[in-house]
Amino acid sequence: MSSLSTNEVVAELNRLFAEEVEAALRYLHLTHAVRGTDYLLVGPVMNKGFQETIEHAEVIAHKIRALGAVPRLELNLSLGPQSVDAREALELALTFEEAALEAYQDALRKVEGDVPLEEFLRSQIVTESEHVAELKQLLVE
Amino acid sequence: MDTWKEFDQNVITHSAAHHLMAIDDLIGQLGYARVSDIARQLNITRGSVSISLQPLKKAGLVEQDENRHLRLSERGRQLVAAIKTKRHLMQRLLAEVLGVEAEQAEIDACKLEHLVSNETARRLLSFLRFLDAEPGRGQQIAAAWRAFGDRCDVPPAQCPSCTNECLAEKVRDEPKPGSHP
Repeated sequence: MSSLSTNEVVAELNRLFAEEVEAALRYLHLTHAVRGTDYLLVGPVMNKGFQETIEHAEVIAHKIRALGAVPRLELNLSLGPQSVDAREALELALTFEEAALEAYQDALRKVEGDVPLEEFLRSQIVTESEHVAELKQLLVE
Repeated sequence: MDTWKEFDQNVITHSAAHHLMAIDDLIGQLGYARVSDIARQLNITRGSVSISLQPLKKAGLVEQDENRHLRLSERGRQLVAAIKTKRHLMQRLLAEVLGVEAEQAEIDACKLEHLVSNETARRLLSFLRFLDAEPGRGQQIAAAWRAFGDRCDVPPAQCPSCTNECLAEKVRDEPKPGSHP
């Protein structure tokens, strides 16, 4: 078992939940902040990001629920009405995907010994790493 | 004069000021600052911190080393020092001189700290130094002013402080959230 108490595990999962929900909202916003032909280029990528991050958020919410708690969500998010070009959208997505990846890596270190949770976090790390790699590939000059 | 546009053109937003100060505080406390530490300190997500740091890195205020540890550039440090000084000065002005409740003074000083110009901060410092220069001077002025009171019975046309409308009417207490007029 992990040395963390259930409350500490829930707190850790809540942090991941917030990362995913916020990333989903950012993806949703970016989907519609890219205009014209840029929308054709990266609109589907952003939309796919939205679908996947919201699914991740839901999985984490289920984990929190399974621990007998209710997910707690505090976001401080303000997304402006400015449009962005395809490259800017990809760079922004890469920035928050890398942040999410690091959050999972940190969480994994903390829950060492809790095998099911470790496995879950490892699978998330694999998925997030793939997202990051895809975005990096799209940003190659 | 398009003063309001200056507000929009301010390099440092409220959020940016808090990110810079969080880096400075964390380095003071821990000797280092990472995105995760800032996120925890400001109670926001890492994604949000990473996005907010981008323009600060581009502006040359924040630097990141190969271990992903963040530090302030010389310009960043100067900016944080100026913001913290302005907060301190504004807090003193509001709480000690104007008699605003300590908590409200802190909130308002926090809102103003990154917007006040260095010139205004220097004049404010000079004013506070004037009050501090002679023991009791500040308290005497504050006591005389408090004795003068907040009440205003003079019609606006005869009031030396108002224009043609009563200024006190414009800044009445705001209704508390949830209360009905």
